[in-house]
Amino acid sequence: MNAQAFEVQVHAVEARRLDPAAALEFVSAPEFGGLNMFVGRVRDHSGGRAVQGVSYQIFDPLALRVFERACAEAMAEFGPRLRAHVSHAKGRLGIGDLAVVVAVGTPHRDEAFRACRKVIEIVKHQSPIWKQEHFVDGDSEWSEGCSLCGSEPAFEPAGETAQPSAAAPSASTPHVHGPGCSHDHAQAHADGERHRA
Amino acid sequence: MKIELSLFGCFGDFEPGARLELEVPGEPCIGDVRAAVDAHGRAHWAGFKPNVLAVSAIGTEDSLLRDPAKVPAHGRLALLPPVNGG
Repeated sequence: MNAQAFEVQVHAVEARRLDPAAALEFVSAPEFGGLNMFVGRVRDHSGGRAVQGVSYQIFDPLALRVFERACAEAMAEFGPRLRAHVSHAKGRLGIGDLAVVVAVGTPHRDEAFRACRKVIEIVKHQSPIWKQEHFVDGDSEWSEGCSLCGSEPAFEPAGETAQPSAAAPSASTPHVHGPGCSHDHAQAHADGERHRA
Repeated sequence: MKIELSLFGCFGDFEPGARLELEVPGEPCIGDVRAAVDAHGRAHWAGFKPNVLAVSAIGTEDSLLRDPAKVPAHGRLALLPPVNGG
């Protein structure tokens, strides 16, 4: 893993807001002609209900590992000349606040687009992050999402301690969706994922 | 063996501090922990959804662990329901 090429962060919103300009600065280099960035913001509706805010909860140490792996997989597929940034907010956010920033810099635009898409999909589907939506009517609900159980790499037989599993799914590992995935399944299938019926 | 579980997402609402301690006999595997959580949830958690537990992962700060894996000696685990970042 190239630590200088990757920057991964979790920001508690009460301490620090996400900074897209700093993300672009990190992935910039004189030899890079393509910079691509995805910025996720809190929207004002979900499932037909008006939303007033969202709370994100993150299992920081494991999430940062997944972010790093996402960047490494992007570098393996689209690099080696690539820089990537991932930052995600945790805590309570209001409408329009920034939830996630992914930025990628590469020599040309095509690999920048594709690498950025790859990283954000891993962040969304494989990182230990949970979203609780707060509705205008006063109700709050945890959003259903994607199970981490099925994204499992090679598995050693039982009998040894602490065999790593889904925290390190590889690019070739299929993603198994949970009972209430809300993301773009068509894209997921296009990316070679499989769906739990 | 004493298991210290950090509870995330919907599971965090069931216990003060989003933490749960369970005593699981012997040298348990992750599947034993999952069964113990299921039993505890059915007995103590109003609104507990066993189908959500069934698709939830269990891991440490370093990795996720499959059901046949033995629980690490430190006994500290995290219960991770389906995720929804971004």
